[in-house]
Amino acid sequence: MKKHKTKLLAAACVGALLLAGCGKKEEVLSLFCWTEYVPQAVIDKFTEETGIRVAVENYTSNEEMLAKLLAGGGSYDLIQPSEYTVEALIKDGQLQELDHEKIPNLKNLAPEFRNLSFDPGNKYSVPWMAGFVGIVYNSEVVPGPIVGYRDVFTDAHKGRIVVLDDAREIVSWGLATAGIPINDVSDQNLATITPLLKDWLSKVKVFDSDSPKTALSNGDVDLGVVWSGEAAILFNENPKFQWVLPAEGFHMFVDNLAIPKTARHKELAEKFMNFILRPDISRMISADFPYYNPNAAARELLTEAERNNPASYPPGLDVTKAQLFSDIGEQGSKVDELITTIKVQ
Amino acid sequence: MAVPTAAAVLAPGPSLQRRAGLGPWLAVAPMMGWLLLFVIVPTLMLVVISFCERDSLGRVIYSFNFENYIRAFDWKWLKILGISVWYAFLTTVICLVLGYPVAYFIGRSSERVRGLLIMLVMIPFWTSFLIRTYAWISILSQEGLLNAALMGLKLTAAPIGFMYTPFAVVLGLVYNFLPFMILPIYTSVEKLDGSLIEAAYDLGARPARVFAQVVLPLTQPGIAAGILLVFVPAIAMFAITTLMGGGSNPTIGEVIHNQFTKARNQPFGAALGVLLLAIFIFSLWLSQRMRREEPE
Repeated sequence: MKKHKTKLLAAACVGALLLAGCGKKEEVLSLFCWTEYVPQAVIDKFTEETGIRVAVENYTSNEEMLAKLLAGGGSYDLIQPSEYTVEALIKDGQLQELDHEKIPNLKNLAPEFRNLSFDPGNKYSVPWMAGFVGIVYNSEVVPGPIVGYRDVFTDAHKGRIVVLDDAREIVSWGLATAGIPINDVSDQNLATITPLLKDWLSKVKVFDSDSPKTALSNGDVDLGVVWSGEAAILFNENPKFQWVLPAEGFHMFVDNLAIPKTARHKELAEKFMNFILRPDISRMISADFPYYNPNAAARELLTEAERNNPASYPPGLDVTKAQLFSDIGEQGSKVDELITTIKVQ
Repeated sequence: MAVPTAAAVLAPGPSLQRRAGLGPWLAVAPMMGWLLLFVIVPTLMLVVISFCERDSLGRVIYSFNFENYIRAFDWKWLKILGISVWYAFLTTVICLVLGYPVAYFIGRSSERVRGLLIMLVMIPFWTSFLIRTYAWISILSQEGLLNAALMGLKLTAAPIGFMYTPFAVVLGLVYNFLPFMILPIYTSVEKLDGSLIEAAYDLGARPARVFAQVVLPLTQPGIAAGILLVFVPAIAMFAITTLMGGGSNPTIGEVIHNQFTKARNQPFGAALGVLLLAIFIFSLWLSQRMRREEPE
């Protein structure tokens, strides 16, 4: 049934393309986005409804996107930067201001996502999906209680831990534990937390940002500090995987859509932004990527099971307490070097 | 073989050699263009960038200084390089020990069987190495096939942690690079003249001596090529080492990759890349020397 539908859809698309080709010049939106973050179904539906073809190119980190965008090789109409990268791009004058009249669906966003520090009033960016970094543990093996980072990196868990392979993340956990604001990555603060991180990382078995759930689900490790979406998928697989927002302080990441100043099709880009802010479309994204959906109207369409997944929507969550990353510029290289140094010691 | 080799066809005859016309140049032009565009220019870019700086967004600022190289000669990067070379060395040795007998056996079997066996060596190439590496993860993980089999046979009571260890890294590398060792050695063995071996036996040599003094020297070009094809890419490999090793022992490939994709520091990544290139050129030179020493 589904297959037939896909085939019909494909035929319809080809037909539409042919017709469009006969008529006027075909419109193509160039989308530069993360791998595995924009469901193909969403892109197909956009093309089906608007006749606008979407050319997709992928990247696997904000830095990779920055390098390609600023090298000026291609022209992208839409990019998908995280909060600190939006901040850096705005500061550098690399983004175009959005025409809010073209994006009426902005009203669907939850109020706490309308005025975030990196882009107050969504002048340049539209939130795609948000999420947290926290602790997931296999409650069948780890007795608990686990409330914060200190409970994770203990001798009892040595060699049974997975963490994100992300120097900025790891450093932020150390800073939070030392009571330092997570964006304050001065040399002095890095030196302060180095002994703590050395102790922590000596207990880590696996570093993995792409799919930390694999090691957990295969039983190679028992607990970890990972993206909330990964934990949500684990919880759906087996509710023995419990989720905790660290007591020392937790941080929220917000991935967004934005239009670079070199974009050739601003109007198409805004059309796409408005499209993904539609509750039914945003709901499709949630189904594939169970992160924290900034779209309040879309959240209403979720099933009870989706809404009750503690990793996607932590019970008793106060979003205003979440810390966001801000851009740290050149200091990023030092952060990366610190973690590499600790790893090889 | 009856089919003339490409080299024989392309080699200019005496008449052509006397007045080197446009013909030969036109024939090699596409290859030269390719080399220029995809080898020489990128390498030069790498060298140029390695002397530059970068701004807060990671853009390259063209300048000239040795900062990146000074930083690269710090103990931690050298240690990482050392670990990578060590992994590559282990991989090469194991591939040679495992690959040589296989290549010899294939090269000495009848022509029909040979084709079939070579095909079996090649088949894994039809699948992306990443997918094959993921397959290893599901075999070696704690709840994976191997542990299930071991525990099912009551060989172990508790699952063994194979994954995310140096063992897993070397296994992944050996598995991935073994064909690159087998194929060149096989080519050498195939060309080996059987009558030379028979002659050695007739003159009273024992098998060990025949191998050491006849077979080994004659297959040396294949061994040299195999070592090069395994060692060089194994140093720079980062996907397998990260996936199988768990990322706690970074390799030089991983560190370079990080400079471009995480640290916004292309110039430093380029400097490390140039150092790696120097190692490659050195290994190439070594293997060329090894080949030149072969008895004609």
